[in-house]
Amino acid sequence: VLAVYTDEQKMLDDAVRKFARDYGLNSPADLKVVDRAAGWKALSEMGIAGLRARESSGAPMASAVEIAIAVSALAERLVPLPLLGSALFPAELLALAQAPAERLSAVTEGRQSACILFDAELAEVADAGVQTAYSWDCQGAEFGLSITPSGSEYSVALHPITSTTDHKGADLTRAVSQVEVGAPVESYTLSAGNRERWLAFALTLLAADILGAMRGALNGAVEYSKVRIQYKVPIGSFQAVQHMCSEALVKITGTVGTVNYAAWCIDELSPAEALLAARTAKAYAVSVGRPVCETVMQVYGGLGQTWESIAHLYLRRVMVSTYLLGGLQSMLAGIADARLGVK
Amino acid sequence: MDYRDTPEEAAFRADARAWFAEHTSADWTHVEDEQEQTRLRRQWHQNLYKAGYAGMAWPTEYGGLGLNAVYSAILAEEAVSTQAPQLPPYIGYMGAAIQAYGTEAQKRHFLPTMLSGEIAWCQGFSEPEAGSDIASLRTRAVLEGDEWVVNGQKMWTSGAHEADWCFLLVRTEPDLPKHKGITCLLTEMDRPGIEVRKIYLSNGIPETSEVFFDNVRIPASQMLGQRGDGWPIAMTTVSFERGPIEVGAVQRYEIVLEKIEQAAAERGLLGDPRIRSELALAYARGQALRLASLEELSARVSGVAAGEAGSLCKLLWSESEQALQALSLDVLGVDAWTGKEAEKMAEYFSARAVSVYGGTAQIQKNIVAQRILGMPR
Repeated sequence: VLAVYTDEQKMLDDAVRKFARDYGLNSPADLKVVDRAAGWKALSEMGIAGLRARESSGAPMASAVEIAIAVSALAERLVPLPLLGSALFPAELLALAQAPAERLSAVTEGRQSACILFDAELAEVADAGVQTAYSWDCQGAEFGLSITPSGSEYSVALHPITSTTDHKGADLTRAVSQVEVGAPVESYTLSAGNRERWLAFALTLLAADILGAMRGALNGAVEYSKVRIQYKVPIGSFQAVQHMCSEALVKITGTVGTVNYAAWCIDELSPAEALLAARTAKAYAVSVGRPVCETVMQVYGGLGQTWESIAHLYLRRVMVSTYLLGGLQSMLAGIADARLGVK
Repeated sequence: MDYRDTPEEAAFRADARAWFAEHTSADWTHVEDEQEQTRLRRQWHQNLYKAGYAGMAWPTEYGGLGLNAVYSAILAEEAVSTQAPQLPPYIGYMGAAIQAYGTEAQKRHFLPTMLSGEIAWCQGFSEPEAGSDIASLRTRAVLEGDEWVVNGQKMWTSGAHEADWCFLLVRTEPDLPKHKGITCLLTEMDRPGIEVRKIYLSNGIPETSEVFFDNVRIPASQMLGQRGDGWPIAMTTVSFERGPIEVGAVQRYEIVLEKIEQAAAERGLLGDPRIRSELALAYARGQALRLASLEELSARVSGVAAGEAGSLCKLLWSESEQALQALSLDVLGVDAWTGKEAEKMAEYFSARAVSVYGGTAQIQKNIVAQRILGMPR
């Protein structure tokens, strides 16, 4: 056993962090000025979205551990680019459903924008009968994907999107939209195991997103505590403030472990094992994500309660990642079913 | 990232599993007589040593196996799985201190018998007035000729009532700043003037002791390091503390969770959505503990200086363990209060101590804030 990143993984982490410094947010005001088109182009050129394209052997170019590293590093700086929703989620689903190579490469190379069609709770993927659905983290998607049970297997269908209405979602860095879709124009078979694998992939990356957001939020609060002076000393010298931040780092440390393992499981273990690890990672991340971001708002004091503060942006991002594809109770129910049997 | 055993680790695990299955006596935990318990534990330690399962990460020149901490972790996991007793924790850190500060003669004299279990040790650090603030210890030692004369009191000296020797910190230079005036002495426990009193913890078990020193005379040759080296020696032992996997805490957590799940099943609670959620959350917390500890262990084995990261794992451990034991009482319900499950009540109280021993949760949080997050003092 050796649970450490390889040198290549560390290099990827550094590269994505560098990118995230350029295209991430330093304050909510940056939302208006960040150049999303240039960012998306740069991200595509880095090839992050293409890391899960399949080689001729059918194996992905990079392991899900690399993807989780990248997703977490982007979330740490609140990069407002739709990597998960419009690229990684649909591309992985198309790959697992063995969609034609051209379909997949159009998404992984950023030529065509796709999305997953969610139900109104954002907790489940819609089925092929869907007419009105919700999309997340993608704008101007040309088609959406549904998943429908079909005997012991599933079918992934591709729907044209006919109209999009943006909602004012809680997360200011990623869009939630209501979309009207047409009848499926193509469909592919998805095995039950691959459906579990896709779900494991998506849940793990949402946990990685929460992880990155927690890290970025805490980093900012800790730096602030070193320079904010009250009673003639930095507030970070007060034990009450130190312990709040330490407790947050403990929660982050627990999340790191479960996310890395869940990401590793996706390519290495059975679908059922990968899904249990993914639900575990997301359950843990969700159980600590909001408390950590709330702590961060408190460390910033009055400033942390203002619209101009970055603190609420982290909390908003965490909340939406929390509910997408199922919140804490949904994750725990899945874990309980796997460990205790279905009741 | 690789969470699988290497072929060497897998072979070691299989051998250890077979050995424990064959040699662990099933009635270990049911021996009531304390002297018999002590005898069995010592015998067990010596058996482990003879079988090559002591000192996994010790240098071979002092009788160890020269392997890394992953093997210590595997050994702990397999030992806990068969409910075998653990090797005493001092072997790692006191052994490291003697290796670092001992004269060649001291190393040759003390290390082999410490490892083999022939000589049992205890650690005389804490005192009634020196708990978290260990450097303020007051037990005095005055040099008279070629002997130190020791007076004072130690507290939380685990295993003192069955130890042959004590690894003792004393104040030798009362006029120097508190960190500079401490010296380390090694003493037999049967010297005249040493008295041990057991401390019964809230779980009802005499897990630790207080030790009184009344004009105890210790040969000057039994000093470890130089006069005034006590604090750096103490820091060596602290930095050598092992993570939750190596002390078997992770494996124990998983076994306790399985027992709680069984208890819930026996009480017909597996259909209760709240209990199902609590059990699932306990599983998730246990996984977070296991996987974060595995990363900390891996970082140490790869030569990345860990140090403070141990405090994060300790905090994950105490929080998850205490939440798990609270859940245990919740599931057992009235059986926990009426004495039907007295052992489980004792386990609950044992878990309360996890956030105190080996550095309280508050001290760990100070360390995390100041040394990892770099917050100002």
